[in-house]
Amino acid sequence: MVHIDRHDTDILIIGTGGAGLFAALHAQQSAPEGTRITIAVKGLIGKCGCTRMVQGGYNVALGNGDTVERHFMDTIQGGKWLPNQDMAWKLCEQAVVRIHELENEIGCYFDRNPDGTLHQKAFAGQTADRTVHKGDLTGIEIISRLMEQVLAQPVDKLQEHRAIGLIPTRDGSALAGVLFIDMRTGGFRLVRAKTVLMATGGGPTMYKYNTPSGDKTMDGLAMALRAGLPLRDMEMVQFHPTGLLAGDHTRMTGTVLEEGLRGAGGQLLNGAENRFMFDYDPKGERATRDVVSRAIYAEMRKNNTTDNGGVFISMSHLGPDHVRAKFPGMVKRCADSGFDLAGGLVEVVPTAHYFMGGVVVDADTRTAMEGLYVAGEDAGGAHGSNRLGGNGVANSTVYGGVAGDVMGADIRSMGALRDPCPEILQAEIDRALHPLSRPPGLVQPMRHALQEAMWEDVGVMRNAAGMERGLTRLAEISSELMEVGVAGDDLAFNLTWHDWLNLRSLCDISGAITLAAMARENSRGAHYREDFPETGDLDASYFTVVTQTGEALDVRRDPVQFTKVRPGETILPEDAPETLVAAQ
Amino acid sequence: MTATPSKLTVTVQRGTEGAIRHEVFDVPAYENQTVLDVVTWIQQMADPTLSYRFACRVGMCGSCAMMVNGVPRWTCRTHVNKVAADGQLAIAPLRNLPVIKDLAADMDPFFDKWVAAEARHHPSAGRSDEFDPVTSQEPARAEADLGIECINCGICYAACDTVAGNPDYLGPAALQRAWTLLNDSRDADAQGILAAVSGKGGCHNCHSMGSCAQYCPNDLNPMRAIAGLKRETVRAAWGGKRDA
Repeated sequence: MVHIDRHDTDILIIGTGGAGLFAALHAQQSAPEGTRITIAVKGLIGKCGCTRMVQGGYNVALGNGDTVERHFMDTIQGGKWLPNQDMAWKLCEQAVVRIHELENEIGCYFDRNPDGTLHQKAFAGQTADRTVHKGDLTGIEIISRLMEQVLAQPVDKLQEHRAIGLIPTRDGSALAGVLFIDMRTGGFRLVRAKTVLMATGGGPTMYKYNTPSGDKTMDGLAMALRAGLPLRDMEMVQFHPTGLLAGDHTRMTGTVLEEGLRGAGGQLLNGAENRFMFDYDPKGERATRDVVSRAIYAEMRKNNTTDNGGVFISMSHLGPDHVRAKFPGMVKRCADSGFDLAGGLVEVVPTAHYFMGGVVVDADTRTAMEGLYVAGEDAGGAHGSNRLGGNGVANSTVYGGVAGDVMGADIRSMGALRDPCPEILQAEIDRALHPLSRPPGLVQPMRHALQEAMWEDVGVMRNAAGMERGLTRLAEISSELMEVGVAGDDLAFNLTWHDWLNLRSLCDISGAITLAAMARENSRGAHYREDFPETGDLDASYFTVVTQTGEALDVRRDPVQFTKVRPGETILPEDAPETLVAAQ
Repeated sequence: MTATPSKLTVTVQRGTEGAIRHEVFDVPAYENQTVLDVVTWIQQMADPTLSYRFACRVGMCGSCAMMVNGVPRWTCRTHVNKVAADGQLAIAPLRNLPVIKDLAADMDPFFDKWVAAEARHHPSAGRSDEFDPVTSQEPARAEADLGIECINCGICYAACDTVAGNPDYLGPAALQRAWTLLNDSRDADAQGILAAVSGKGGCHNCHSMGSCAQYCPNDLNPMRAIAGLKRETVRAAWGGKRDA
């Protein structure tokens, strides 16, 4: 019998990005005196995860003609009418509160206009200058300030603790606790809690090229799927058009070269060093993320590529000194990695960036399982089929705070801690120990195989035949993984064991992505079907829902509820201008 | 373009506190390769038990900071060509911190000192108040801005000989954060911060050797910030007021 350490708490928070850290602070403010709060994270508090990596900024309507209503309409239209409108509304409404909290209580300092008001800029898809920022390192400012607040709080901190299973009660009516691996020792730890916030972040790292932090492997969604929770919008993977391409052997590959490069006049060149974007869109390189990603993907399919199989971004025609002055951080990062962004050509590819799909929740972060709450990228619904730049960190901080408030209130009516189902607990332990019982082999080649399969068959452009092939490849990789082992003689900080578990989560969620993508027979936002290129009837919009029963995945289509506004209508006043953004 | 050697000879510190050893690995060399890629290759292809830490891959989180040929660096942003012209690399966990295992250091002392230095915002306003209109045109805010891009990677802490000699010393990163707060007109507890940084492990331990500024990958200058703290704590001790 494997030893399990035990830890009891009232409120458990998994993840320390914008959602998890805000939840910890709000839970402390709202919960009764003496409430025990525990935060657990796969890496170090505030350092792993993706909030820290936010470059652009934070969308919030702060006047000058901009309104919560306008922000909401942009979010709904950007999401191609698929968002849960109640969630999108609360996102826009509460962002106003949260940004004041970040400045006045947490201590962030965002860039100012000369008159002392907050500087705001317009990202693609916005009809107002709305994005608050701290240079192009907004995430660092937000997460560093949140982190130092939480570090000083009397909450229990479980760092380098990887969540591996949601353990319900025996009758399945509620969540009893969460099983972790203490990565530093390799031992198991069961944390019982009355309420649990899952805020592990999404991160579509099952694609050959991807931007998220290396710790992100869809563990949260994989746990939720196994626990029987419904997952929505799973086909919605946002690709950023310009990820760095430097070869399979380097972790630099896939990392984002910022959007602003194209906006400033950067040119995309194919392998023959010819511009190609105007073959696809009259806006050329300034077209939206999805259009540019598809154009590059199309060039790649035609083999019009560079040595490493991508395209080039070229800035030097703007003057190398000008590029250095305008994009100092980007130029320095490229230089550190061996590339001359200011004067030379840098190879790029579309790269999987953000996951719009997630657990079905209500606008209070509650799920179908009592005791389980979900916020941030693990939660689906707020963005629909496409997330606007600047709405990601707004979403995680708004809903993390909401979750903290709601959990702090809900525990007042909850009695004792619940008893975990021993069979499910054992099954989760067995699942984690499985690779230790097989002959050791290399895990990384299988990760590559999965990433190739998802990139080629369920990637930027999709069709039925490709996805059928993808499903077959997924099944092969998945069963091959079960036969590849990891040496178990030293489990302390054993990254290779975690690589295996990471790949297990990614395989499971890749299956859900593929099924959802097959079920959506139209093209919306991030999801593009070559065999169904039309948007489809907006009034009959549906979102996909994937659930797992036993080993089997099931996908269904649920109608979007237009609770605030119907397609073709607006909640803005009749005389409201289409956009408040000055023409460029 | 400089020729790339076909392989690297990499010496890696292994084990935990009290049981340290060194192992040598031959690692294939590539044109585009960071030190983190070298460490990753060893773990993925040669020795699956090698422990290390990384997260963002782009120099935003600092999780992957290690000693590379004796110098603290972000391994994700250190191109091999910059540090291993002769094909030799020696990699060890970040200095001045306990070792968890192999290349993974225990960052807790670093962050405990961050807390001990009162290095967090003390609110003077709430979420229902307006934003403070302070701009970077004001000298104190401009001073605060100088240190604001710190990502708490611990490079300066590892580089600091004073930390090495005095385990109680709060270290450059925490003190620099305290200085930015002291210059932030929105912070409500200047006295608390000054008290926290003027004690036994405080700013007066700094001998201005400057390793923090020399090695900071973000080109920040904690030594300058600490000099500011020294001035302010002395002034406070004499009962003077800050001219802010």
